[in-house]
Amino acid sequence: MTPPHPFDITIFAAMATAVLPFIAFGLIIIFFRGRDRIAAGISIGAISTALVCALFLLVKHWGLTEPILYTVRWADSGQWTIPIGVLLDPVSLLMLTVVCAISFLVQIYSLGYMAGDPGFSRYYAYMSLFAWAMITLTISPTMLQLYIFWELVGLASYLLIGFWYEKFSASEAGKKAFVMTRVGDVAFLLGLLLVLLHMGNLNILEMNGPAVAGQMPPATLTLAAILIFGGVVGKSAQFPLMTWLPDAMEGPTPVSALLHSATMVAAGVYLFARLFPFFELSPSAMTLFLAIGTITMLMASTMALVARDIKQVWAYSTISQLGFMVMALAAGGYFAGVFHLTTHAGFKALLFLCSGVFIHHFGTNDMFELGQSGGRSLKIPMICMTIAAAALSGLPPFSGFFSKEAIMGALAELDNPVWLWAAFLGAFLTSYYSFRLIFIMLFPRKSDEPDHGIHDDHEHHEGGYWPMAWPLIILAAVTLVLGFGQKGLDHFLMGTMTDAGHHGAEGGHHGWLPFVAVGLCGIGVVVAYLEFGLPGSAQIGFVERMDRVKQFFAERWYIDRFYRWFLDRIIYGGFSRLFTANDRKVIDGGVDGLGRSTVEAGRRLSDLHLGMIQYKLMVLFVTMIFLGLYFFF
Amino acid sequence: MPLTYAAFPFLSTILLACVAGLLIILFLPAEREREIKWVSAVCSGITLAISLFLFIAYDQDLGGYQFVERIDWVPSMGITYFNGVDGFGLPMLLLTGIVFFTGVLTMWEMTLRVKEFFALIFLLVTGVFGMFMALDLFFIFVWYDVSLFPMYLLIAVWGSTRKEYAAMKLTLYLLAGSALILPGIIYLVINAGLNTFDLLALSEPGLFTPGQQRFAFLLFYIGFGILAGVWPFHTWSPVGHVAAPTAVSMIHAGVLMKIGAFGVLRLGMTLCPLGWQYWAPLMAFLATVGIVYGAFVGLSQTDVKYVIGYSSVSHMGIVGLGLATVSVDGLNGAVFQMFAHGLMTALFFSSLGYIYDKTHTKTIADLGGMLKTMPVATGYFIVAALTGIGVPCLASFWAELMVFISAFKVYPIYGTLAICALAVTALFILRVVQKVCYGPEQERFAGLPDVSLGLGAPRIILVSVIVIFGLFPSLMFDMIQTATIPFLDRLP
Repeated sequence: MTPPHPFDITIFAAMATAVLPFIAFGLIIIFFRGRDRIAAGISIGAISTALVCALFLLVKHWGLTEPILYTVRWADSGQWTIPIGVLLDPVSLLMLTVVCAISFLVQIYSLGYMAGDPGFSRYYAYMSLFAWAMITLTISPTMLQLYIFWELVGLASYLLIGFWYEKFSASEAGKKAFVMTRVGDVAFLLGLLLVLLHMGNLNILEMNGPAVAGQMPPATLTLAAILIFGGVVGKSAQFPLMTWLPDAMEGPTPVSALLHSATMVAAGVYLFARLFPFFELSPSAMTLFLAIGTITMLMASTMALVARDIKQVWAYSTISQLGFMVMALAAGGYFAGVFHLTTHAGFKALLFLCSGVFIHHFGTNDMFELGQSGGRSLKIPMICMTIAAAALSGLPPFSGFFSKEAIMGALAELDNPVWLWAAFLGAFLTSYYSFRLIFIMLFPRKSDEPDHGIHDDHEHHEGGYWPMAWPLIILAAVTLVLGFGQKGLDHFLMGTMTDAGHHGAEGGHHGWLPFVAVGLCGIGVVVAYLEFGLPGSAQIGFVERMDRVKQFFAERWYIDRFYRWFLDRIIYGGFSRLFTANDRKVIDGGVDGLGRSTVEAGRRLSDLHLGMIQYKLMVLFVTMIFLGLYFFF
Repeated sequence: MPLTYAAFPFLSTILLACVAGLLIILFLPAEREREIKWVSAVCSGITLAISLFLFIAYDQDLGGYQFVERIDWVPSMGITYFNGVDGFGLPMLLLTGIVFFTGVLTMWEMTLRVKEFFALIFLLVTGVFGMFMALDLFFIFVWYDVSLFPMYLLIAVWGSTRKEYAAMKLTLYLLAGSALILPGIIYLVINAGLNTFDLLALSEPGLFTPGQQRFAFLLFYIGFGILAGVWPFHTWSPVGHVAAPTAVSMIHAGVLMKIGAFGVLRLGMTLCPLGWQYWAPLMAFLATVGIVYGAFVGLSQTDVKYVIGYSSVSHMGIVGLGLATVSVDGLNGAVFQMFAHGLMTALFFSSLGYIYDKTHTKTIADLGGMLKTMPVATGYFIVAALTGIGVPCLASFWAELMVFISAFKVYPIYGTLAICALAVTALFILRVVQKVCYGPEQERFAGLPDVSLGLGAPRIILVSVIVIFGLFPSLMFDMIQTATIPFLDRLP
């Protein structure tokens, strides 16, 4: 492999995708605060150029066999050089395209959704920051660069989740997202340092290479893998750091669409895929990841069963689908995981963008209210959302079906069938809660208080319908056709994976698998229809009939309660109070005591000089005694 | 170590600019406040321009001490007026120039006893500049004390919130420090028997026995460590931060605390390398305690300035941890952190100073919705907060990263603890940001003017420097390395 020239068209295009959004961010934040049209123009201009470059790169390097690497020196310290650069291989090219495409569509959509918002230009500045961070993360050639932009992705989502900062819940959600992912990142950084200590650098290609096993003892390698996976747990909202993601919907809905599909949470799974060969070196760590993925997937599905908030359902579904991806990768299904990441990015963005249209139009998040106020009259979003929900459930011929089959195929390869059964259960629950929502929206029941606070929200309409509708149609089309590109993508992604042991999407030995999976999804849809769609049904799900269980799921298995308790009692009430008291009482108290006793001693001494004869005699006497002691002994 | 003499006495010019500013201000009548402020701005601007020029003009391939000036002063006692800067001194010089200049600009609207205020600031900064460039132990000590005394008056006269207590506490603490440093200097000079205070002559290897080095290093470490906010000698610093007026807080946290760390580096580590290596584990322990402890105490503060004060304790702990690693990466990180932390706290206090001037409160519970009331002024505050959290592409990140890398290598447990404290740091700083900046606009603050472009200038300078060094860390690392690598090569 010859090192490419910096003005090589490939490198130039890759650098352009990375740098343009940053320039847009800088321009908007410095010069165009409050100039809405210019800000949006700059931002969309940058991201559309980036998208063109990304598509160009994908087409040009379709069938790539050797990764393209280009780095320059960023800084160095001692013997260690920190490079910055570009690494293009199938997975980064694919992800780059996904990120640019979704960012582009979301920014177009936001033209309508955010119109008239006082923070419009700030919104586009943050969007550009987000795009910059995520794109540069995607093409990072070293783990350090990835970590840096990983943190910036966290920063951008902090700013966007808390975008409506006047609301306490929004700023709280932003803070929660940042701190919770920071906890994961601490583990991530420790893992990286451990690798750095043994290998001397953090180049992704070297970490994925065969030399690692020789340089790190197996136990250390497992520890490093688990620590690095901590980053995935934080960013991709895996158990136990999952609860920030449902709260993150406090941000504007397009932000949720971006956050849940191609950027923030996708970064975690992307990291897993990026370092897949490295993680694979430690089978025990992989088993742990498989368990974490499964737990996450099932827990989040149960939470989604009882949610009433439309965005919350999709948020839980994101967590559970991320669980699926982690399961796939941990089971060795590299292609299945990346493929599901790709398809999921499309249909999950679609779900949120559709929900955004409803929320924007009717001014409520509650799915029952949306249904009652005539949600189904908005034809394009309703149809698109149904398509996306079908994809989410894994119904053919939508994209989700293909990627979920690939995951099932990977899981079926495992010796222990319990994972496959868990995945079946998850697939059933997914289709059930997705279509619960769809049927509630489609077949509304009359309620006692119709038109609940809806029609006074007419000023919301100013945004314009079509900037919001076009992205939906495009994404729906992608959701329809993407699945059929499976073979090609498989070939492309496996191009640089030399290890023949990876499972593709063949599923050949398990011919029964698709039938079982689709059958379970079908049952889910039918059950949802019987409970929510059938005329005369009560619209109360089987879970909601069990109060205890419902309560348990609605409270998110009390995970948040635990964190609240932990924070209040241990962090604030424990360490913080203890240390503060120590500062006031022990350290300051000691110092002040020292000061007081010095003053007091001075006062006592000065008393000796009052001129009273008895003091003088006493001093004389004591001095004589000391002199005597000194001379005689 | 190579010495390159200066063709033109740039370093003395910096000191002269400060002294000239001081004298002009003293001769101006007190009611001509406008002129006094302009004189201050021009003179501080000159110091900034020269420090920036020196930073750029320093020959990195050559290394060593450059722009050296040397005049025998009291030959019978071996005292020389001996100035020079290397890769350690130049970042500090630049930092002082930036913080000084922006500090003066930040105080543009002040009205109380303007003449005395700026005169004292000039005196203070003269000491700071002198300390960073002096290569003679006698002068180092003199400059150190020159920079301490004005602090007392500046806090006691212009301060707020228990100002007399804070001023007294700060002065006593720092004098206690110099009461340790002076014996240390005398002990070494006498034991060397060379009849010189020349730092370079005294740093010849083999001049002092290991026992002597251990003893002297401990004196320097505690003496200067008090000023650097080393746990458990840190409690003067948050109190002092809170009580001081804005520009003094900036100089205090931004530069004065660096004098402490710089003193440990320049005197302790240069003169007593064996003592340094001997006490390094203790330094690492105290630094780690400071990092974790500062973050936790910061969580439960009710005054914004106290929060920043404790964040300084935590962040200066990172400097200490870096120095304790006895490695190139650690030293690079520590010096970079001194620079970055100086900029960060200067920005913190400068932006908070504006908010405080307008709202007359710095109690966290009273503030809120500031981003709505004054978006630009609060924006600067948020950038400072993000720097404090260690967000990448802002200067502090690189410094912390380097320190963590080397600390993790040398002291795995302390390193791990320090990295874990990152999460707590994020929590306590974001908590303040949330309470101060976010939330609905408060009615009683509605209509307060946002910072204008002119008044915002000092913050713009600070933000741009933070971003520039965050995006191009090699500008700083390459400079610091010219000193760290030879420094560690000399170690026995």
